[in-house]
Amino acid sequence: MSTGAQYVVAVYAVIWFVLLCYVVYVTSRTQRLSRQVELLAKLVDQPAKQ
Amino acid sequence: MTEQTKSRGTALWGMLAAVLTTLAVVGIFYVAPEDADQGIIQKIFYFHVAIALTSLVAFMVAAIAAVRYLRSRQQRWDDMTAAAVGIGLVFTLLTVVTGSIWAKASWGHWWVWSDVRLVTYTVVAMLYAAYFLLRSSLEGDRRMRSSAIFAIISFASVPVSFYSVRIAQSAIHPVVFRRDGASIPGEMMIWFVISLAAMFAIFWTMVQLEMVQRQTERNLRHLKLRLEAR
Repeated sequence: MSTGAQYVVAVYAVIWFVLLCYVVYVTSRTQRLSRQVELLAKLVDQPAKQ
Repeated sequence: MTEQTKSRGTALWGMLAAVLTTLAVVGIFYVAPEDADQGIIQKIFYFHVAIALTSLVAFMVAAIAAVRYLRSRQQRWDDMTAAAVGIGLVFTLLTVVTGSIWAKASWGHWWVWSDVRLVTYTVVAMLYAAYFLLRSSLEGDRRMRSSAIFAIISFASVPVSFYSVRIAQSAIHPVVFRRDGASIPGEMMIWFVISLAAMFAIFWTMVQLEMVQRQTERNLRHLKLRLEAR
């Protein structure tokens, strides 16, 4: 691969990496929201059990 | 607009972003002609410039949303301002990194302080990074009002950066789009336009996702407080 091509690959790899990081960030945030919903579901169920 | 319509809209934007990005990558590497002067290095142009322009559009969206927040005091406009600034900063960082790699490949240096475009663009990035410093130091309505005002004032730096290279007649940073038209041939221009549309679709999908998450977090917090108070 020529030096020029290596620079081009580096640029597109950086863009790809940043987009993947964003996907990971959104996924972790969604998981946190999902855990909070589970906690709320438990809180809703509590008075019914008492 | 119902929640279902909103999430369908976000999914459609996401699909559009995926299709346009794939089309752009295929077009750039398999269809677009190689530049006679720069050779394969010029392929960086398509995404680098598209990302840079999208970052400036992001700051414009933030300024418009900030104005709408100040007029209506609706939380969703504050969410949009913060989301657009945050994602705009990610695009700014990408512009700087991809631009540095391109600079190293064609000029032989990672960074040139004498180039007016690089310096003004760095100022824009630092200004918008300060937006989050301000936002994290305040609470409640004051936070939303002050950050909206800051987003509007900071937008003044965007046209300065955009036109700086045209006014300063920089010899290093080329100007592709002039008043009398673009200085690239049509068979390159089409793939640039598709890349630009792809980047904008990615940006808008990210903004919508961010807004949905912010709204959901707020709703959950509110619900938790109500349930705990029972």
